[in-house]
Amino acid sequence: MMSSSPLMSIAGASKSYNGLPALIDVSLDLNGGEVHALMGENGAGKSTLIRLMAGVLPADAMHVTMRGQPVTIYSAQAAFALGLRFIHQELNVVPQLSVAENIFLSQQYPRWGGIFVHWNRLNRDARAVLAELGITHLDPRTAIARLSPGDQMLVKIAGAFVGGEQAGASVYVMDEPTAALTGEEAAMLFRVIQRLRERGCAVLYVTHRIDEIFQIADRVTVMRDGRVVATKGIGETSAAELIQLMTGRAMQQIYPARAAPPGDTVLLEVHNLRTDAIRNVTFQLRSGEILGVAGLIGSGCTELIRALMGADRVLGGEILLEGVPLKNHAPAGAWGRGLAFVPEERRSQGLILSRSVGNNVTLPHLAQINRRSVFLDDARERVVTEQLGKAVSLRANGYRQSVRELSGGNQQKVVFARALARDPRVLLLDEPTRGVDVGAKYDLYGLIRRISAQGTGILMVSSELAELIGLCDRILIMRRGQLVDMVPAAGLTEESLLALCYGEVHRGDG
Amino acid sequence: MVTAEVRPIQWGRWLRRFGTLIGFLVVVAVFWWQKPATFMTIRNWLNITQQVSILGVVAFTMTIVMVMGDFDLSVGTMASLAGIVAALVFRAEQPVLAGVAAALLVGMLGGLLNGAMVSYIGISPFVATLGTLTMFSGAALYISNGKTIFGRAIPAEVGDFARGGIPLGLIGDQEVVIPSLTILALIVLFAVWVVLEQTVFGRRLYAIGGNREAARLGGVRVRLLRLCAFVATGFGAALAGLMLVSRLASANPTQGDGLMLNAIAAVFLGMTMSEEGEPHVLGTLLGVLILGVLNNGLTQMQIDSYIQQILTGGIIVLAVTLSSLSRRSA
Repeated sequence: MMSSSPLMSIAGASKSYNGLPALIDVSLDLNGGEVHALMGENGAGKSTLIRLMAGVLPADAMHVTMRGQPVTIYSAQAAFALGLRFIHQELNVVPQLSVAENIFLSQQYPRWGGIFVHWNRLNRDARAVLAELGITHLDPRTAIARLSPGDQMLVKIAGAFVGGEQAGASVYVMDEPTAALTGEEAAMLFRVIQRLRERGCAVLYVTHRIDEIFQIADRVTVMRDGRVVATKGIGETSAAELIQLMTGRAMQQIYPARAAPPGDTVLLEVHNLRTDAIRNVTFQLRSGEILGVAGLIGSGCTELIRALMGADRVLGGEILLEGVPLKNHAPAGAWGRGLAFVPEERRSQGLILSRSVGNNVTLPHLAQINRRSVFLDDARERVVTEQLGKAVSLRANGYRQSVRELSGGNQQKVVFARALARDPRVLLLDEPTRGVDVGAKYDLYGLIRRISAQGTGILMVSSELAELIGLCDRILIMRRGQLVDMVPAAGLTEESLLALCYGEVHRGDG
Repeated sequence: MVTAEVRPIQWGRWLRRFGTLIGFLVVVAVFWWQKPATFMTIRNWLNITQQVSILGVVAFTMTIVMVMGDFDLSVGTMASLAGIVAALVFRAEQPVLAGVAAALLVGMLGGLLNGAMVSYIGISPFVATLGTLTMFSGAALYISNGKTIFGRAIPAEVGDFARGGIPLGLIGDQEVVIPSLTILALIVLFAVWVVLEQTVFGRRLYAIGGNREAARLGGVRVRLLRLCAFVATGFGAALAGLMLVSRLASANPTQGDGLMLNAIAAVFLGMTMSEEGEPHVLGTLLGVLILGVLNNGLTQMQIDSYIQQILTGGIIVLAVTLSSLSRRSA
């Protein structure tokens, strides 16, 4: 039931780091039975606000009331006792344990004889919790490592949900829970959020994905530069307005138009390519073309990119780069031949976080950059890095800054700068804008267009279908490891493209 | 209010960076104060550098594999084995150079075996080098029949090398000589520093240590480089084994075994000096000096050698603890 006063109310929240304000007089009301979206670019202050709410960071000033009663959140335990639950985008589950064990991880497991775990009851309780959230397809006894990321996220939410019941947990804070999920997994998550809402809980939902907000949120608060710039009912706003609020500039054209049509030269030819995960993949990529790859998780999109880059072993078929077959294909050779690569996970597969911007940008090009000197040429590294940094509009504190200190968007630009260092013939992009804030996203779209205008062929995997439709010339559809269709991007809608990925409907409708 | 916030963070960074160095200076100051006549003399310091030279060579080359996040437990027994191999060649009245070459070759072959197991077969460095540790030890005992090779079997010039050095002239009434072993260790130090910090090879090793998968996808030939790094470490271990033979003018099948733990401890002490917790060879040098100075000073203070072990171990743990605590707070 919705009450007249908000379930949780935050007023005047402020926080500075080293005298630099990160959060300035932020106020936010969370109502029971409402999903409240929180948006903003990286660095807008969302994470700081959540950390203050979670009691893991002391506020300089913050007034909190729960159900009208003033309270203080002085520690993580206090936040927990007040009924706040936090679900982060990282899947910090214990992979060796079962679903049931993970759900009850922060609880006492049921026992018999005072010592032994009562496994049957544990599994029964877990099944009941899952059912309550409308999750019926998971067996509590399954090892969690065997579940998809989406199902793991559902288990995590179930874990936050249990124990909350008795303690009267009522506010769920979710920080980009769909960052690693497929469309169908996200849909399942939304149904669970719907359940929480029906039970009168308040959900604070942080996301970079605007389309999600219109699916599940009742209200949305936008932050910029540490302040709340607007709180709106979802019916009173639009995607364009939210983008404008977040970036402070109007976004007329999200996807820049292409300057010239793609060329005729075939850069990359793939015949019957086969690896452990894909088979029968045949296509051609032309100069200046942006070729999209769409498919559900597990359909082989990422594996196709990895095979082309030499990261996975090729078991059959042929890859020809400008007519020359690639043999004994490995990443080291691929870079040398003019293939460049932006991997799916920039932190685990792209960057050496302990190293500087310059070190990261030059990594695949060290031999070339230092070909005239025996010892590392620091001046060259600096020149190359600064040039490329400018090309990708990187905001960093010099080429020696550690990439660990950069925001997600700037880290991704470092990965792009590396890929552009040698004017690649073919650029392979895997989720090029994942976890990147809106401003950096548009920088990257513009960049992708400019690269293709120079004649580079681009193959791009993305789970953001709008991005594929907006940027690509043609889109390859992958299903269960096979290339099943190839469609022109013009005229597609997200719905029709998704239907193609599922294999339900024919092309071109809607 | 602003400064009150700034200060603890700056302090933490500073402590993290230089805490170990300050600790080293404190230790030096204490010995200087306790033993004013004998500790802080050129002669004693040259003596310390000679005492740590062999450990230094093992630790400097150990740094090469630890940069990649690997380590090599077999260096100690490799030093023993290489020493025995050289001594057997000497006993067979072959030229000194042949013995040296044979020992270094054995070191590189051992490193190749370690590297092949770790990088091409994919065994964890702990298990692989624990296995070869035992193999090398057994081989050294077998080919020497478990006996020490000494006396006339070891040519005079081998022992003379360690006793010799470059004279610096008279200071006061004392003839001051930089020991040959010290010079050799400095050459190895410089070579490792150049390779790790100034070459493409070293840069790639650091990339592997930072994120092996990202390095591979970024075009680094991870397996080949890991193999090469283990070969370099094996070479260093064998060189240290030769230095031991020269210093002792004898070869015992277990005389190098103790080097491994101290070498790893020295690299860990050095890692506390780096912002990102990466090993750097100059940090390793500090680690080696800390161990050497503690040994020298405590011995001069006539502290029981068993107590020395407790103190040394405690100081290593303390340094690494302080470093990780300050890292967490910052």
